[in-house]
Amino acid sequence: MSFFLVENLTKKFGGLIANNNISMEVEKGEIRGVIGPNGAGKTTFFNLVSGFYRPTSGKVSFKGNTISGLSTNKIARLGAVRTFQRAALFTDFTVLENVSIAQHMNTNSSLLNAIFGHDNHREAESLERAEEIIEFLGMQQERDTMADNLSHGLQRQLGVAMALATEPELLMLDEPVAGMNSGEKAVMVGMIQKIRDKWGVTVLLVEHDMRTVMNLCEKITVLDFGQKLAEGSPEEIRSNPKVIEAYLGADDSVT
Amino acid sequence: MGVDTIVQTFTNALVLGSIYAMVAVGLAIAFGVMQMANFAHGELFMAGSYVVFTLYTLVGIPFLIAVILAFPIVAAIGMVFERLIFRPTRGNVLAGFMATAGAGFILQVLVGQQWGVGLMRSIQTPYPGSTEILGAAISYQRLLIFPATVVMVSGLWYFLTRVKHGKALRACAQDPEAAVLQGISLNKMTSLAMLLSGGFAGVGGALMAPIIPVTPYMGHTFAVTAFIIVIVGGMASIEGAVIAAFILGFIHTIVTTMYDSVTATMVGVFFMALVLIVKPTGLMGRVKV
Amino acid sequence: MLKFNLSNHLLVGSLVVIVFFVVAPNLVSAYRLELLTIFLINVILAQSYRLMATTGDWTLCHYILMGVGAYATGVLAKMAGLPFYVVMPMACVVTAFVSLLFAIPLSRTLGFAFFIASFALGEFVRHVWLKFHYPFGGARGINGIPKLEIGQGGEWYFIDFWDSQNFYYFTLIFTILALMILFRIDRSRLGNAWKSIYSDRELSESIGIDVAKSRIMVFCVSGFLAGLAGSLLAYQIGSIDPHNFEMVEMVYLIIWCVVGGVKTFWGPLIGVLSMSVVFELTRPLAEWRPALFGLILILFLVLLPGGLETLPARIRAMLNKTSKQREAG
Repeated sequence: MSFFLVENLTKKFGGLIANNNISMEVEKGEIRGVIGPNGAGKTTFFNLVSGFYRPTSGKVSFKGNTISGLSTNKIARLGAVRTFQRAALFTDFTVLENVSIAQHMNTNSSLLNAIFGHDNHREAESLERAEEIIEFLGMQQERDTMADNLSHGLQRQLGVAMALATEPELLMLDEPVAGMNSGEKAVMVGMIQKIRDKWGVTVLLVEHDMRTVMNLCEKITVLDFGQKLAEGSPEEIRSNPKVIEAYLGADDSVT
Repeated sequence: MGVDTIVQTFTNALVLGSIYAMVAVGLAIAFGVMQMANFAHGELFMAGSYVVFTLYTLVGIPFLIAVILAFPIVAAIGMVFERLIFRPTRGNVLAGFMATAGAGFILQVLVGQQWGVGLMRSIQTPYPGSTEILGAAISYQRLLIFPATVVMVSGLWYFLTRVKHGKALRACAQDPEAAVLQGISLNKMTSLAMLLSGGFAGVGGALMAPIIPVTPYMGHTFAVTAFIIVIVGGMASIEGAVIAAFILGFIHTIVTTMYDSVTATMVGVFFMALVLIVKPTGLMGRVKV
Repeated sequence: MLKFNLSNHLLVGSLVVIVFFVVAPNLVSAYRLELLTIFLINVILAQSYRLMATTGDWTLCHYILMGVGAYATGVLAKMAGLPFYVVMPMACVVTAFVSLLFAIPLSRTLGFAFFIASFALGEFVRHVWLKFHYPFGGARGINGIPKLEIGQGGEWYFIDFWDSQNFYYFTLIFTILALMILFRIDRSRLGNAWKSIYSDRELSESIGIDVAKSRIMVFCVSGFLAGLAGSLLAYQIGSIDPHNFEMVEMVYLIIWCVVGGVKTFWGPLIGVLSMSVVFELTRPLAEWRPALFGLILILFLVLLPGGLETLPARIRAMLNKTSKQREAG
C-alpha cells in the first residue's frame, strides 16, 4: 500500500485541460516538491489533492483510502492537512487560541462536554502540546498577540503551525514561501525540515520559488502545461534538458 | 376543467407573472450592481400604489399619467436608499439588507400617518368592463398589465444593451473592478441601479393599485414573492428573474385555482427550497451568493 | 487570599443581576412584572439568536422557530392535555427537529442567500399554521392554553402559575439555565470552533472542522432554545396566532442584536435591555415607534456596525488618537 498515490489525475474546465494524466507517488517521511513554470497547473493540482476540486478522472489515495472527491475536512480527518497560499488565520483570536482551535480533531469538542464537562487531564495535555508548538515556532513572546497583528512571515509560520497542531501524517503546503523575504524564507525552510525530522510528518509542497525547492526537497516533480514533465532528485532535475527548456521557454531560469 | 377555466387560469397566470417580473427585475438589477439587497422593495411597490391613489383618486390626474409619474417619484426614493444606506454599507450585503428593513418601517409609518393605516377605500377602476375570450371573462384593468410589462422589460433590455449608461451598468454588474478601471463611476452606477429598481417597483405598484387593497403593509407579500423569484432565477440575473417570475406566476395561479392561495404560497416556497438544494446558483445564476 | 480577576468580577456581577431579578417582584407593579417576564423570554430569544450569528449565519426565521415552540406547547398542552414538564421538553425537541429540517437545505447556502432562504422556509411554516385549522387553528390560532401548575389545588406542594409572580420566577429559572448553557458553550472548544467558521471557513475546514455539520448543529441548538422561549411565551400569554410571529417581530429581534452586537456574550443582553427601555419610554408615541426603531437600526448599521459592545473600544481608540494628536501638536 502506497502512502500517497496520485493515479492518472485529470481535470478539465470546459474545453481547457488544466491537469492531464498526472501520476506520482510520495513515500512516508519524504519532503516532496511540485514545481513548474507559471500556468503549469500547480494550483489546480494542489486543489485536486487537497479536496477543493473534484477530478474529472483519475484518483488520489492516501494510506489506501481514495481521497479525491472527499471534502477537505474528511481528508484532514484521515491525516492529510493542507495550508493556504494566503495568510489564513483566525484573525480575532490570539496565537495560542489559533493553535488550540487547530487541535479540534484531537480534543473533545462535543456539545455535552461543552455544557457539562471538562476533561481536565486531556485539556492539560492539549494545552501542553499547543505550548510546545508555539515554543517550536519561537513565538512564546507573541503567544497572546492577536493573529491579525503579526508580521506576514509570522502569520505564514503560524499557518503551518496550526496545520501541525492537527497532528497530521501528511502536510500539504501551498506555496509556503510566497511573498516572503529571504530571511523569512530561510526560517520557513528550517521549520519545514524540522517538522519532518522532529515530528516525522511527510511533506508535499507546491512552490514557485525554485531555490527553496532545490534546497528543501529530496525529490521533485515538475509540471508543465498540465502534464508531468520530469521527476527526480534536485540534481537530476537541474540537469534535465526538458526542464531547462520548459523554464527557458517560460522566461524563468533554473538556479 | 372547461376551456373557459383553462383560458381564465392562463391569462391570470400571465398577468400575475407580469407583475412579479416587474417587481423582481428591480430586485435583480439592484443586487447585480454591488449586491444591493433591498428589504424594503415591497415598500417601494406600496409607494407606487400610493402615488396612484394620491394623483389619480385624490387629485384627479388621468390614471396612465399617474402610473408614468410613479416611476420618477419612487425612483427618487430608491436613490435616497442608495445614498443613505447602500453606499455607507457597501461590501456588507447583510448590513444593507437589514438597514433597508428599517427604511421599510419608516416608509410604512410615514404613509400610514399621512393617508391612514386601515384598509384603503379602494381605488376606482379607470378601465371598467371586461372582455370575453373563449368564455373566460378578463377585466381590461388586469389585461393592461401584460403589455405594460412587455414594454417596460423590453425598454430595460434596450437600455442595458444599446444605451451607453445601460452598457456601463451591465459592465459594472459583471466586473466592478474592471468597470472602475475603464473610468466608470461606481457611485453613479449604484445610484442608477437603484433608480431603475425603484422605478420598476413603483410602476408595478401603480398598475396594481386598482386591483388589490392598498394599505401601508401591502408590499410585504409582494416582496416575499419577489425574493423567491430572484433566488430561483439566480440573484443577479435579469433574464432569470423574468423567467422565474412567469414560472412562479403559473405555479401560483394554477395551485390557487385548484386549492387555495395559502397552499400556492407554500408550493412556491417549496419550489425555491428545491432549486436551492439542486442548483444553489439559481436557474440562470453564474455565481453562488 | 481571594484573587480578584475577571471571572470573579463576572461572578459578582451576575449575582447582583440575579438578586435584582429575584427581588424585582416586590418592587414593581403586576403590569410591570409581566413586562419583565416578557423581557426574560426576549433575553433567551436574543441569546439563542446570537449563537447562530457566531458561525456567521444570520437567519430570518428565528421568530418562526420560537413560534414552533409556542405552537407545540399550545397543541400539546391544550389538545393533548399534557402537563408542563412533558410539554416543555417536547416543545424544545420539536423545535430543534424543525430547525434540523430547515438547516439541511440551508447549509448548502451562505450569507445573503442563507438569510433570505431561511425567511422563505419560515414563511412556509407560518402558512402551515394558517392553512391547517386542525390542530393549529388557522388565522385565529390557539386560544385558552391552560396555565401551567405544579400539583393540584389543596396539595401542599401546589403552585399555581396563574399568579404572575410565580410564573415570573418560573421564567427566571429557565432564563438563568439557558444563559448558563449558552455561556458554557461560548467559552468551550466547541464554541471556539463555531466562531472559527465565521472567521475563516476554508481554514476551519482544513483543520478538520466539518463546517456543514457544525452549522446544522448550531441551528439545532439555537432552535432548541428558541423553542424554550416560545413555550414560555405560549404559557405566559395563553393564546397564540400566526400574527404573533410575523416579520415585524423578527426585525425587532435583529434590532436587539444589531444594537447590542453579537461578538461577545454581553452584546445581545445590552441590546435587549436598551431597546426594551426605549420601547417602554416611547409608549405614548406607539404609532411612530416602528419608524423610530427603523431609524435606530439604520443608524447603528451605518455608524456603529459592531453595536454598543464595541463602543468602549471605539471611545478608547478615539481618546488615544486625540491625545496623540495633542502631543504631536
